Amino acid sequence: MSAFSLSRLLLVARKELLDLLRDRKSIFWALFTVVISGPLVVGLLYFVGKTVSDRIEKVTAPIVNAQFAPDFVRFLERRGVKIDADPADYEARVKSGDLDAVLVVDPGYAESLGNGRSAKITLVTLSSRDGSAPIAGRLSRELRIYAEMIGNERMILRGIAPAVARPLQVEELDLATAEQRSARLLQVMSFYALFAGLMGAIAAALDVTAGERERQTLEPLLTTPVAVSELAIGKWLAVSMINLLAVTASLVGFLIALQVVPLGKLGLPFNFGVREFAGFMAVLVPFAFMVPAVLLAFGAAGKTAKEAQSSLSVGVSMVGLLPLISIFRQTKAPWWDTWVPVNGQYAVLSKVLRAETILRLDWLAMWAVPALICGIALYVFTQRLGDEKMLAGR
Amino acid sequence: MIDVQGLSKHFTVRERGSLFAMKANTRTVTAVDNVSFTALDGEVTGLLGPNGAGKTTTLRMLSTLLTPDAGHAQIDGADLVRERDQVRQRLGVLGDAKGLYWRLTARENITYFGRLQGMSDVEAKRRADVLIDELGLHELSDRPTQGFSQGERMKVAIARALVHNPQTVLLDEPTNGLDIMSTRSMRELIRGLRAQGKCVLFSSHIMQEVAALCDRVVIINKGHAVFSGTPHEVLTATGLDSLEDAFVKLIGSEEGLFA
Repeated sequence: MSAFSLSRLLLVARKELLDLLRDRKSIFWALFTVVISGPLVVGLLYFVGKTVSDRIEKVTAPIVNAQFAPDFVRFLERRGVKIDADPADYEARVKSGDLDAVLVVDPGYAESLGNGRSAKITLVTLSSRDGSAPIAGRLSRELRIYAEMIGNERMILRGIAPAVARPLQVEELDLATAEQRSARLLQVMSFYALFAGLMGAIAAALDVTAGERERQTLEPLLTTPVAVSELAIGKWLAVSMINLLAVTASLVGFLIALQVVPLGKLGLPFNFGVREFAGFMAVLVPFAFMVPAVLLAFGAAGKTAKEAQSSLSVGVSMVGLLPLISIFRQTKAPWWDTWVPVNGQYAVLSKVLRAETILRLDWLAMWAVPALICGIALYVFTQRLGDEKMLAGR
Repeated sequence: MIDVQGLSKHFTVRERGSLFAMKANTRTVTAVDNVSFTALDGEVTGLLGPNGAGKTTTLRMLSTLLTPDAGHAQIDGADLVRERDQVRQRLGVLGDAKGLYWRLTARENITYFGRLQGMSDVEAKRRADVLIDELGLHELSDRPTQGFSQGERMKVAIARALVHNPQTVLLDEPTNGLDIMSTRSMRELIRGLRAQGKCVLFSSHIMQEVAALCDRVVIINKGHAVFSGTPHEVLTATGLDSLEDAFVKLIGSEEGLFA
């Protein structure tokens, strides 16, 4: 066996990097997808947030039989709700999404109210449509306030303190800071940052493994004194550099988007400054080295790019699916949460966004787990790259 | 100098009877069986045989890509398995796979291999210049190899194999797919290597080429070396006066020629 040579390893890494960077089209599209995702997500959040708050502010209430409840209509108007009297065919229009919610005043409303009985108003909604929920919520809130107001007046008329009918005073104390509330929305960002750490590596990993075989350049390489381990590590370093570039580009994309888009105006005081950037990088740098190692190990299993691609998709779906553990979990995270690759990264990135304290143990997980996986994956990659069966069995 | 003694290589082939067969049957295929020959410095030795005879497998073993199952081989006294690194430094290989890096220029392709062979950057560049000059690659040398013709690619591949000025050169069907002009310049190059006192071992299934170039031929068929000697000895041994007829007689059938 030849002695391991660091200079030869770096030679391989430099050549691979040069080769990969010359593939302008692949590099451009990989980086483009990654850079654009930041502004796109932030822009979308702003757009959605703004539409929701606009719609709640400038809500229009379609009322059927409005003529039976003139006081209620006046109340709504005073509260800034526009009235759309007697909408035709309202049930079909609620179903189709044309109307978000409709109030139907019972024909016996005035009589019941006058006699001190419960008067009926129906709020017609479609709960399966998320987009209508804020409007329906606003109208239902207005109804409650109006009902309470009338109830209070009635009790005062009878000489009873309104508090009698309200034995409990329920107050909610939300301990979440404003950052934490908005971070919940912007957790998407953690997801996309991890996504970038995958996208950046796929094309490059395919190119230096199956691409090398398909172009028939691996054999000539293996007849030189270069050791297979030097080749493997050199390739890994080159792909990791490209991946690191993609991760950095995605964060810069987010950073710029957050500077430009006034999320603060929507009550989302979102902080992504130097501290958060550093926190993200501390998690993503080991991740950006781990992903290529795994992809290379999978990619080297194929004799052609197509075979490698199908074997790669296992690695790709891991990154896509593992954060779902965190996203859908309802209970407190168990202790091993941060030790599951990808899921752990997602969890710690979210902590960075929420400005929570990150334990030393978390940081250990962020670096030790990728290091271990890199070691195993590089071993497998080396074995597969030098496997003579892959050369002979053509 | 190449000294081969009893070299053998088997492959295990896994076959499934049907898509749903639980167990795959394994079958052992003997690609090279107990092949021995010697190739001397200052000579061109032709490895002659029909397609599938074991030429490529033999050359792959000699170029250290495959480990022999049995037998020994020495390149200038260095053992193929035990002194693999020395063997690799002494060998220039134009193997069955002759791919280039498309996005790198011809010059970059050549210097990369020079550097991997342990040459300094300056040395590798200087040597690349010399080879580009010898092979007439001037106009192409700084272009990416993607658009190169078959012959141009072959020239770059051979330059890459010779960059470290190896004493022993292995060429696997070096004229395969080349036009007449490129074939002629490849032959010139092989003669040039011989004139420099190198040991050249090349494989071919084309009789005229072997007749035109070789000082010595090793004929292999179905993994066995069936004859080893000078072209003249081939004729005397078979009692025929055409090398092609002699070849057919030695391998015992005509099928290989048309494969």
